[in-house]
Amino acid sequence: MERVMVGQKEWLYRLGRAWVAFFLLSEIVVFSIIGTGFFSARNFQNILVAATTILLLAAGETFVIITGGIDLSVGFVMGLACVVSAKIMVMLQAASVPQGLAILLGCAGALLFGLLPGLVNGALVAKLRVPPFIATFGMYGVAYGLSEILCNNVPISGLPPLVGFIGNGYLLYYLPGKALTFFGPPQGISRADIRAMILLFPNVFVFSIIAVAIFGFVLARTQFGQHIYAIGGNIDAARRAGIPVEKHLIRVYMISSFFAAMGGVMYTLRFVTGRADAGAARMLDSVVAVVIGGASLYGGTGSMVGSIIGTLIIAMLETGMVNLGLPTYNKYVYVGIILVLAVLIDQFFPEFVRKGE
Amino acid sequence: MSRTQLVARIGRNWVVLFLFLLCVIFSFTGRGFLSLKTLNNILLTSSPALLLAAGETFVIITGGIDLSVGFVRGLISVISAIVIRDLYALGYSPYFAIFCGIVVGVLLGLLPGLVNGILVARFRVPPFIATLGMYGIANGLALRYSKGFPITFLPDEVGEIGNGFFFYLLPGRLFTVFEKPLGLTEAEARNLVGIVPYATVIAFALLFVFGFVLSKTQFGQHIYAIGGNIDAARRAGIPVEKHLIRVYVISSLFAAFSGVLSTLIFSIGTHTQFAASLELFAIAAVVIGGASLMGGKGSILGTALGVFVLSVLEVGFLMSGILPFYRYIAVGTILVFAVVIDQLFPEIVYD
Repeated sequence: MERVMVGQKEWLYRLGRAWVAFFLLSEIVVFSIIGTGFFSARNFQNILVAATTILLLAAGETFVIITGGIDLSVGFVMGLACVVSAKIMVMLQAASVPQGLAILLGCAGALLFGLLPGLVNGALVAKLRVPPFIATFGMYGVAYGLSEILCNNVPISGLPPLVGFIGNGYLLYYLPGKALTFFGPPQGISRADIRAMILLFPNVFVFSIIAVAIFGFVLARTQFGQHIYAIGGNIDAARRAGIPVEKHLIRVYMISSFFAAMGGVMYTLRFVTGRADAGAARMLDSVVAVVIGGASLYGGTGSMVGSIIGTLIIAMLETGMVNLGLPTYNKYVYVGIILVLAVLIDQFFPEFVRKGE
Repeated sequence: MSRTQLVARIGRNWVVLFLFLLCVIFSFTGRGFLSLKTLNNILLTSSPALLLAAGETFVIITGGIDLSVGFVRGLISVISAIVIRDLYALGYSPYFAIFCGIVVGVLLGLLPGLVNGILVARFRVPPFIATLGMYGIANGLALRYSKGFPITFLPDEVGEIGNGFFFYLLPGRLFTVFEKPLGLTEAEARNLVGIVPYATVIAFALLFVFGFVLSKTQFGQHIYAIGGNIDAARRAGIPVEKHLIRVYVISSLFAAFSGVLSTLIFSIGTHTQFAASLELFAIAAVVIGGASLMGGKGSILGTALGVFVLSVLEVGFLMSGILPFYRYIAVGTILVFAVVIDQLFPEIVYD
């Protein structure tokens, strides 16, 4: 292990590690200066809400990319889970199950169901040695077809009203000097009070960040996490070292599709509808967020914190462009360019991404 | 004939059998499936897909993949439509405007492939990543130029070319060549059957030319060699980098053909929806047509059969009153199975 690096290399290395944070900071500065109302607690919370989908998909994708694989199916698995959760809620509501329970079961059902695509992907990759991008590309078609069939090609509506209340609610409602309540605004307050009320921590973001934190811990601090890095670093060496590579790979793809399903459930909560194409445009974003966050598509590197920063960069770009009244279409162009650049940098300046091991 | 040979023969010809079987099934389940009109409808609507898959064939034979084709098609569709619309609005003759639209679209279509090819060949970026980047870039540009809306107000001549047929038949009464018969009642117009769409002839001509390039030229042989064993090809003195760049250019050129043709057929320029998964269908068609995603195998004829299987599935499902989304499931499954079979039973794909 070579910890001390000298001269230009060290400089490059530091810059490589830190450029993402710099980029995020400069994004905030630029948008705050040229945008209106960008630099405000409310707007930053909006950014967090807008970031949840990418955050969840990217969190799952982080695991897969660290093993040197890729999961192209996350966008449509998200749509599938979105449709499934909405469908369960509507069906339970029709069976006059209490709203809260219907929502809980809908979310839980979709999350459980969301493990299936990952199981299939993982089994194909680990047991049958199908290249990850093909296995998950197949699932990309299967998941989308299945979700369109489930919702009959029409977005599912008529969900319990409580869904939107949860999905668009906040954890804390704070009326300075008067009241502090959890999950809902205090009862019987005036209109002026409502305007002055400070809303803190959007629910969907709270749910998401808890899941991301747990799996971030799993990745960084557990043996399973270390094994994943080992698999991505050198799969043959990992196998020789007695790591249960197949089992771990299956788990990794299940984690990825679990997070995708969670993205779908959060979408249902926020938009009170079940759409098959809910996450169609998000697969690319999630891969790019992970790559911006310092992961190598060749495997072995990457971190949850990095992926979170990558997510924020993309979400900030999106909301900043909306704030400036620019069309967000260009985002796809930037994101595509970033992806290719990241891979090129990865190949030509490995010291940018590789740790000094 | 030994058992292995039998398996191999069935393996190679199952597409034809499957296509035939599908037609038989849908003839029973779909009303009016077995008719001249449906046949020509399938031919017309499958021609852009045919072009898309033909380009992808080249890439897959080299062992690569091009995920960007669907969005390059959308981008070129939008650009060619804008050129046609604007030139026509400036007062140029519609045929000149259409000609310029086609030329601009096809020429611009070379660019994404050039970038993909250079990334893959010179910078050793894995094909699915290089083309995934282009997938975002092309779609972003298409959305930017179309502002997310279809490009409309194209001259009528666009539809006459794209939606035209060589022959028109009003069963039992009329048969005309090139021109729709004049003075038809509304009911008669509905019964009018167009035979041999121009669009299909254009697509077949392009397929024929590039099929010839693939199977009969040295360049084509080199592509198979690269896909079979890239190191051996390099040692044998084949200019691998140059050929790979050409292959990706061909792929995006065909995506551009497909985009231009879809503009002509539908008389609008549209970007590609993310959920349309055009690249999935193109790749699946190539694989159904007998190509191996590991490279070294595949043919234009097989790909064409693959496209027809998928088109027949779509039209057949629709005419049988089933949502066509089962197609996505079928295609995703086929794709994965093809690779699994490839690995478990190499004797089916390799002689």
